[in-house]
Amino acid sequence: MQSWRRKSLWLALSASWLLILLRVFPVLRLAEPARRQAGAPQGWPRWLDAELLQSFSQPGELLEDGPQPPQAPRGGSCYRGACFDASRCRGGGLKVFVYPAVGPISETPRKVLTSIEGSRYHTASAAEACLLILVLSPDTPAGECHPELPQWDGGKNHLVLSLHPAPCLRIFQLGQAMVAEASPTMDTFRPGFDVALPLLPEAHPLRGGALGQLQQHSPLPGVALIAMAEERGGWRTVGTNFSACPWDGRCEQDHGPKQTHPRATLPNATFCLIPGRNPDALHFLQALQAGCIPVLLSPRWELPFSEVIDWTKAAVVADERLPLQVLAALQEMPLTRVLALRQQAQFLWDAYFSSVEKVIHTTLEIIQDRVSGASAHPSLLWNSPPGALLALSTFSTSPSDFPFYHLQQGSRPLGRFSALIWVGALGQPPLKLIQAVAGAQHCAQILVLWSSKKPPPPRWPETAVPLTVLDGHRKRTRFCVMREGRGTTLLSQASDRFLPYSAISTDAILSLDAHSSLSTSEVDFAFMVWQSFPERMVGFLTWSHFWDETQGGWGYTGERANEFSMVLTSAAFYHRYYHTLFTHSLPKALRTLADESPPCVDVLMNFLVAAVTKLPPIKVPYGPWHQEAKPPLVPGSPRLRSEPRPAAQDCINQMAAGFGHMPLVSSRLRLDPVLFKDPVSVLRKKYRSLEKP
Amino acid sequence: MCASVKYNIRGPALIPRMKTKHRIYYITLFSIVLLGLIATGMFQFWPHSIESSGDWSVEKRSVRDVPLVRLPADSPVPERGDLSCRMHTCFDVYRCGFNPKNKIKVYIYPLKKYVGEAGVPVSSTISREYNELLTAISDSDYYTDDVTRACLFVPSIDLLNQNSLRVKETAQALAQLSRWDRGTNHLLFNMLPGGPPDYNTALDVPRDRALLAGGGFSTWTYRQGYDVSIPVYSPLSAEVDLPEKGPGPRRYFLLSSQVALHPEYREDLAALQARHGEAVLVLDKCSNLSEGVPAARRRCHQQQAFDYPQVLQEATFCMVLRGARLGQAVLSDVLRAGCVPVIIADSYVLPFSEVLDWKRASVVVPEEKMSDVYSILQSIPRRQIEEMQRQARWFWEAYFQSIKAIALATLQIINDRIYPYAAISYEDWNDPPAVKWGSVSNPLFLPLIPPQSQGFTAIVLTYDRVESLFRVITEVSKVPSLSKLLVVWNNQNKNPPEDSLWPKIRVPLKVVRTAENKLSNRFFPYDEIETEAVLAIDDDIIMLTSDELQFGYEVWREFPDRLVGYPGRLHLWDHEMNKWKYESEWTNEVSMVLTGAAFYHKYFNYLYTYKMPGDIKNWVDAHMNCEDIAMNFLVANVTGKAVIKVTPRKKFKCPECTAIDGLSLDQTHMVERSPA
Repeated sequence: MQSWRRKSLWLALSASWLLILLRVFPVLRLAEPARRQAGAPQGWPRWLDAELLQSFSQPGELLEDGPQPPQAPRGGSCYRGACFDASRCRGGGLKVFVYPAVGPISETPRKVLTSIEGSRYHTASAAEACLLILVLSPDTPAGECHPELPQWDGGKNHLVLSLHPAPCLRIFQLGQAMVAEASPTMDTFRPGFDVALPLLPEAHPLRGGALGQLQQHSPLPGVALIAMAEERGGWRTVGTNFSACPWDGRCEQDHGPKQTHPRATLPNATFCLIPGRNPDALHFLQALQAGCIPVLLSPRWELPFSEVIDWTKAAVVADERLPLQVLAALQEMPLTRVLALRQQAQFLWDAYFSSVEKVIHTTLEIIQDRVSGASAHPSLLWNSPPGALLALSTFSTSPSDFPFYHLQQGSRPLGRFSALIWVGALGQPPLKLIQAVAGAQHCAQILVLWSSKKPPPPRWPETAVPLTVLDGHRKRTRFCVMREGRGTTLLSQASDRFLPYSAISTDAILSLDAHSSLSTSEVDFAFMVWQSFPERMVGFLTWSHFWDETQGGWGYTGERANEFSMVLTSAAFYHRYYHTLFTHSLPKALRTLADESPPCVDVLMNFLVAAVTKLPPIKVPYGPWHQEAKPPLVPGSPRLRSEPRPAAQDCINQMAAGFGHMPLVSSRLRLDPVLFKDPVSVLRKKYRSLEKP
Repeated sequence: MCASVKYNIRGPALIPRMKTKHRIYYITLFSIVLLGLIATGMFQFWPHSIESSGDWSVEKRSVRDVPLVRLPADSPVPERGDLSCRMHTCFDVYRCGFNPKNKIKVYIYPLKKYVGEAGVPVSSTISREYNELLTAISDSDYYTDDVTRACLFVPSIDLLNQNSLRVKETAQALAQLSRWDRGTNHLLFNMLPGGPPDYNTALDVPRDRALLAGGGFSTWTYRQGYDVSIPVYSPLSAEVDLPEKGPGPRRYFLLSSQVALHPEYREDLAALQARHGEAVLVLDKCSNLSEGVPAARRRCHQQQAFDYPQVLQEATFCMVLRGARLGQAVLSDVLRAGCVPVIIADSYVLPFSEVLDWKRASVVVPEEKMSDVYSILQSIPRRQIEEMQRQARWFWEAYFQSIKAIALATLQIINDRIYPYAAISYEDWNDPPAVKWGSVSNPLFLPLIPPQSQGFTAIVLTYDRVESLFRVITEVSKVPSLSKLLVVWNNQNKNPPEDSLWPKIRVPLKVVRTAENKLSNRFFPYDEIETEAVLAIDDDIIMLTSDELQFGYEVWREFPDRLVGYPGRLHLWDHEMNKWKYESEWTNEVSMVLTGAAFYHKYFNYLYTYKMPGDIKNWVDAHMNCEDIAMNFLVANVTGKAVIKVTPRKKFKCPECTAIDGLSLDQTHMVERSPA
């Protein structure tokens, strides 16, 4: 009995010793079952002497790598700093001169010339300009490629522009000139110096342009997943049950149901496969216009405006050598990304490609950005609506100063507003209005723009907020003198009210006329609404536009209708940025037109905001008791419809022509406060005087 | 007995003679103590050994023990390198195959020591940084040890510094790698290219088609879309602890801290300092360095000494001038100090410029404009400068601060080229975390008013209230824009009524039977929904007129990214209870609408079903409640926008009240952001 006990004790003892031995001698570890799973990667070894390894650089080597003299640019290789003398653009900013056409030119170069001349950077004097543009025509015979240009100077500060592949571009001695070419091949393209243009179809419109085809955010169910660009133009939709590449001849018979579309039809699919060969660049724009996500198969050409546009947000660049992977990736792409790509493709089309003018202005804007260095457009401004052509970097380079980017920036517009009261030629001091506005909760300041013939009163009513009187005369007189020579006398220049006055210190502007009448409650509520829609106009009185079949043109009316598309700027909230945009981006012709006929100013401002936002303005409640107080001559009264004043009615057509399309969008709704006209006690309502004067 | 005899013979050596009873007692005690010790030892080592099983599998060896490879003098040298290489010409994408995770696989060659014919080593075996780099790759998801499955190959030959290797022999060493194949799919890392006197801007080692991740590329040597421009790592990043300093104005406006500058630059800098005085500080080497302080850590201005890199935190802008090489390690130090780099090195391809937006963190000034640099910088608004300072620090933290960060960013860039449809976005690369948190990217950002002709699909969730359901169907079918009606039959125990019993309506009516009685079924993205607009309506909402519904649809068209509903609710912060509460009384603000009658975009159905954060969906299904709050939270969270309440003239509580004088609409003032 004792023996087995002793035996077992010894067994335990020896077992424990064995265990100790196992731990001490690593050799014996081999006897352990392999803990490492088969197939787990055998990584880079952890060296025992890793700590002792030398650094890659000797001490001091990083500090002193042997001073080198500043290098002169090497021959033939240009980049902005070397070949483009930006200092010529300092001071006055970018000034662009374009060589006039020699002899008869075809349609597209003419459009290009018109667009450059209509740009705000254009100057008529070559000496003043810091960028000189030579527009190449595709039909210039190769023999006549060397025009005599007095300012050429080896191509310095020149831009050679060609919207279509021009034979001259290959022959021309470019020297130090930048090249803006449609779909340049990647090998010759010099990033940061050349500009890649889109390959436009022959009949691309000059202005406004073909609208995007996207009508809804998500793809329609049942629409083909993939359309394939055909070699002869046109598109072929491909079913989804293919087993191999639709762009490869080898698997031609494996296609699912397919449909071919005639040339020039826009593809109707979610993804558009575009081969990488140069001529296929034309398909690229068609896909963008159709809101079809371009899938570029190893493109050999530089994507248009790649310097500023982030194409990864709008297109997929895939490798044509991996057909199955690409197709599988497209099929499995999450809906969230499909939606984002679709919308971005459409946005880019509308912002930069839909007309020749936009393409040219984008080109100039890119060069302007290079010149201006730190005050260039941030990437966000280029790559989110409304796009850099409509978000002027001269206003600000900080996205949160604009009305468009508050969501992306996680910011909000300033919680105060400035009331800007315009006192026209015969106006009286709007004392009652000032009191009503000054009482508003969020009013920060009142600015009176005094354009009346009479001198402003020496004393203004005491208000809780600062009141400043701006002199609206100076500009007007200058204008009058200018015009007197021709025998025209203008009483006031209506567009003065939209100048970007530096006295405006808030994001929001409440634009008012001297004869507007508003209650404090109405102002308070309208401002609340504007804070939710800072990019739109929020107004009280509305007009609507319509297509007049009988006259074959646009008309507008102030009649009460179920729809509206404009709000009167005699009482409206909008963002301060629109003053800058109105003054600096609108063509001069349109502003002159507005000056000649005051109601046109309202139309023009509404056109501008609608063209930027692509959305209707917002209407807020306006007490019916105000209507009587309105002088009958105020534009928008029903008389306009019955007795159309020719100039005023016509301005909408001229503006539609100036914009290239009709930007106005109709709305059918009005935003009211919660509890508005609800059957609850008036005492519980926040904006009670909206319902009772 | 026999055992006891044995014991008696051997026993004395181990245990003193004592009574058997005592002996047993001591032996037991001894074994227990021993076993306890062993157990503790095992406890200490066991979990540890599981965690670092890599340690066991990876051989711990010395770098000195690696195998030696002797290169014959006539072994082949690769071609110089093809400047026209692009991903679609020189890169063999077939090796990357299809990977469901959209991740390339990287193989690292085992370390070897290469010697020339005479036995002279071609380079130092491996530097500390390159070892770190390879370790980082090996620890990442990209790594594979299976050479046949790899898409990218990283040689273990250290090329970081061209000065510490022999060019031709290194090239021969590259060429004899087992999968070299003209360098296809090989990735070489180099930070200090070129050598005296002319300092090439790319590695001089002939490398044929290999990709080069190089520091100090110029536009002439950089193959756009093929090579990767990487930073020159600054060893100070690891050596010195430099806490973050917030943005804002600093003591010096402009600072130059580089020591080896060409006299011409020195003159320009001196002129700048003379013109602008205190605002500009130009530092140089210290002539009388005290013992024990490395030269890299001190800078002097005349007799005044400054600690480097701490002095960089005293300046708003810091110069990064070209030296013999374009890539300068000082860039990393400058970024780290939150000083905005002023880069004066023409044609320099900035690190990771393929994905990083350097305009947000730096100012690039052409060399010939160096004398104007002060006025150029002065014209930048203060707010923008602060933004740049913040951005600079963020770039350093994310992409410069360690060798690992550099290696992973490089691989991510290459990965994004190969799987572009899974590439990470500009915002992911460039936005600092604070911005990412604050920003909302509305999934329906394009301003669009969908055409009215499309109409909407009404979805009625029902259990068994057939009579009320039929009334709702009849009522809703009168709305002109209705294009389809979908009944979600949530009762598994009962069959829906026969076809003939359903009301006859002018639009298609579909009944979907569900597998489980779940509230989430109402928000499932059914294939039957063909329109973008969805009207969710309860089977007891019979008080809404067709005019009201039609108007609601038109309101939705103008706000397709919002919930447009009829009965509104408000969420409030209850200060007494310290939590959110829910208000349904008549109030002046609305932040939610009930989904018992609401229009919304069908995309939100997809989000609700597949992308709802956390276990909200399960909670809703388990409690059979709050699905409307969940939907409101989801939409507000993803779009950052408030709901819109359309006022029904007939109140939900009193169907007999009638007052129809044109419908109006309510605007809410609270933009709801929920952390959920």
